[in-house]
Amino acid sequence: MIHFLRGALLASLTSMLLALPAGASSDPQPAPAGEAAKRTSSSTADHGRFTALQQNFKSGPDVTRACLTCHTEAAKQVHKSKHWTWEFLNPATNQRLGKKHVINNFCTAVPSNYEFCTACHVGYGWKDQHFDFAAQENVDCLVCHDTTGTYRKIPGLAGHPTYKDMEFPPKSGKMVKAPDLGNVARNVGKTGRQNCGACHFYGGGGDAVKHGDLDSSLRNPGRYLDVHMDKDGLNFSCGECHKTTGHDVPGGRYAVTVLEKDGAHMRGKKDANPASCQACHGGPPHKGPRADRLNSHTAKLACQTCHIPEFARAQPTKMMWDWSTAGKMDKDGKPFKLKDSAGHDAYDSKKGDFKYESNVIPTYVWFNGQVDYTLRETKLDPSRVIEINHFNGSPDDGKSKIWPIKRFVGKQPYDVGNNQLLVFNTYGQNDTAFWTNFNWDKAIEFGMKEIGAEYSGKYAFVSTEMSWPITHMVAPKEDALACKQCHTAPGRLDQVPGIYLPGRHGNPLLDTAGWGLAGLTLLGVLGHGAGRIFASRKAKPGHGHHG
Amino acid sequence: MVKLLGGVVLGLLIAVGVAFSMMDKLMFKETPSPYGMEETIARIQHNIQNTGNGWALSGLRNAAKAVQNDGGNVLPVMMIEACSTKYSKPILKEDTVRFLSILMPCKISVYKKQDGKVYIGTMNAGLMGRMFGPLVGDVMAQVAEDQKKFLVFDPNTPAPQMILPSAPAAGAQGGGGGGGGC
Repeated sequence: MIHFLRGALLASLTSMLLALPAGASSDPQPAPAGEAAKRTSSSTADHGRFTALQQNFKSGPDVTRACLTCHTEAAKQVHKSKHWTWEFLNPATNQRLGKKHVINNFCTAVPSNYEFCTACHVGYGWKDQHFDFAAQENVDCLVCHDTTGTYRKIPGLAGHPTYKDMEFPPKSGKMVKAPDLGNVARNVGKTGRQNCGACHFYGGGGDAVKHGDLDSSLRNPGRYLDVHMDKDGLNFSCGECHKTTGHDVPGGRYAVTVLEKDGAHMRGKKDANPASCQACHGGPPHKGPRADRLNSHTAKLACQTCHIPEFARAQPTKMMWDWSTAGKMDKDGKPFKLKDSAGHDAYDSKKGDFKYESNVIPTYVWFNGQVDYTLRETKLDPSRVIEINHFNGSPDDGKSKIWPIKRFVGKQPYDVGNNQLLVFNTYGQNDTAFWTNFNWDKAIEFGMKEIGAEYSGKYAFVSTEMSWPITHMVAPKEDALACKQCHTAPGRLDQVPGIYLPGRHGNPLLDTAGWGLAGLTLLGVLGHGAGRIFASRKAKPGHGHHG
Repeated sequence: MVKLLGGVVLGLLIAVGVAFSMMDKLMFKETPSPYGMEETIARIQHNIQNTGNGWALSGLRNAAKAVQNDGGNVLPVMMIEACSTKYSKPILKEDTVRFLSILMPCKISVYKKQDGKVYIGTMNAGLMGRMFGPLVGDVMAQVAEDQKKFLVFDPNTPAPQMILPSAPAAGAQGGGGGGGGC
C-alpha cells in the first residue's frame, strides 16, 4: 500500500508539474527594425533627412562615401580595430593572432578562402591578399549600423551584400533579396544585438556552431538564458558591456581579463576592461547573509564558473568536427549529408563528421588570461592531441582563476614532412577548392601556395582541441552553481588540479584516524555507562530499591 | 510473551524501514545511456514503434521548458509518452482500477545530470502492477516485458531521427502527436 501511495503521489506530482503553462517554444522574431528603431532611438539625428543619403546607392562603398561626408573620422577609427585588421599582436606572448593568422579547428583558415570568410569582415572587397586596407570607402558602415534587418552579407561575395536577388545557398531554391541600400542608409542607428549577432552568433559556419555561449537565441533571450539580455528585463545590447569608444570594441578572447583588481569601472577610466563582470558588479559582488562565504570564493573562481552553469542552453553547439572523413561520396558519386537525431548535420561530404550537444557542462581550467596558440609555423607532435590554443594558469601563480571553457575537438590536416598545421582552399569555383573537387592534394597545395609557405607534399590528419572561454549566457542568480555541485564527489571541479574542496577531498589516513577516535569515544562512553550500571547493581543486592 | 511480541514488532518495524528506504529503487529504475539526449530519445521512440503490441508514441514533453519559460534553468528532461490500447483498454474498462489511468500514458524519462551524462528513468511496471490484483498484474507484467525492449540499443544501427510531436498539445510544450491510443 505504501508503495502504491508513494507511486501515486509521485505520478500526481509529475502530472501537476507538467500541467504548468508553457509559452511559445521559439524566440519571437525581432521587431521590424527601421521604424521600431526610430520610435525607440534617442539619437539627435534623423538620418532619413540627410541630403547625402537621398540617393539610390549602387554599392556598399557608395554608401560609405556618403557616410564619411559627415562622419569624417569613422573609417580611420575602424581601420585601427580588430574588426578591420583581423589581426592582434599579443603583447604578452608576441604572437601575431587574429583571423588573418590563426588556424582553428572549425573552418581552419581564412587565406585562400577570402571571398567566403570575409562575409564577416567589416569591409568590402577583401577577395585576395591584395585587399586595400587603407581605403576608407572599403569600410562597411551598414553591417554594424543597419536597423532594418534587410542588410545581409553573403559568403562568397568578398564582404559585399548582394546587389541583385540571388539564390543562396546555391541550388537551395532560397532567394536572398538585394537590400535597398538607400533605405538601409537612411535608417542607420546604434549597433544592436542583431548587428553583432549577424557574425558572432554564426561563427564556425552556422548558428551556435563555434562559441557555445553565443547564438541566435540571444537576439531575444528569455531571463533563463541571459539575465542581462533578458528581452523583458534589462534587455542589454552587446554594447552595454562591450562599451565602445571610437569604434574600438573592448573585450575579446585573445587577451581575456581574468583578474580585475580595480573593482567597478568608473566613467572616463581607460585602463580597465568595461566588459568584465567586475566592471559593473565590483570586487566583492555578493550581498546578503551568505555574502562573506560567497565572496571568499571570488579570489579563485571566475564569476562565470558559478553563474554560467551550462552553455548552449537554447540550442546545441558543435562539439566535434572531424575533417578526416570529408570527401566521401554517395553511390551516385555525389556529395551527401547525414543528419543526427535532432536534425543537425552529422556528416557533410564537404566538411566531415560533426557532433552537437546542448546544455553542455563546461570544462573547468585554471586561467590567467594568457593564451598560447599553435600557429601555422609551430612545430607539433602528431602523436599527441594538439592544443590549438592553450589556456595558461595555475593554482599558485596568484593571477589565475578557475574558468569555464568549451573544449572543441576535431581532426584536421597537417604537413607530415614539416609537422605543421596546413592551410587549405575550401571555397571557390576553382579546380583547387575542396568543396568543389574534394581533392585534398590540390586544396592544400593551393592554400599553402597562397600564404607562401613550404609544403612537403604529404598530409595526414592530426587530432586537435580548441578552448573557448565561456562568458555569455549568464543565468539568473538562483540558478548559479550550488555548493554541493562542487563540494561533492564526483563534482564539477574534479579535473581541476591543485585545490582542496571540503566535501569532496578526503585523506584516508585522517579519515580513518577520525572515525577511529569517534569509535573509541563511543566505546568508552558505552563501557563507562555499562560499568556504572554494573557497579550500581552490584552495590544493591537483590536488585531492589532502597527508597 | 512480552519479549516475543516486542521482537515481532521490532522485526516488522525494521522490515518496513528497509522497504521504505529501498522503495525508490524498487519502483523506479535509472539507467545511464550511452548516447546523447536526442539520440537516446530517438532510439527509444523508434524501439517503441517497432515493438508491436499496439504501441504508439503519444507525446514528447519537455519538462525543462516550463521552467525556462518561468525564467529559470534545469538540465534537460524529456518525457517520451507511449501507449498501447491492447494494455490500456482492459484496465480502463474495469471500474475498480480505472483510477490507474493516472499512470497513463506510459512514460520514459530521458534526462541529463550534473555529471554531464544522459540517463533513462523508467517505472517498474511489473512490480507496481502486482499491487492491484491479477488483472492489472497480468497487464503490467506484459508492459514490463515490452518496456525492456524499448531500451535495447543496437550500436550498429545509425542514429535515427527524433520524432517530434506533430501538433502541440494545450498546456505543455511538446505534447501531442504520434497517434497514441490513450
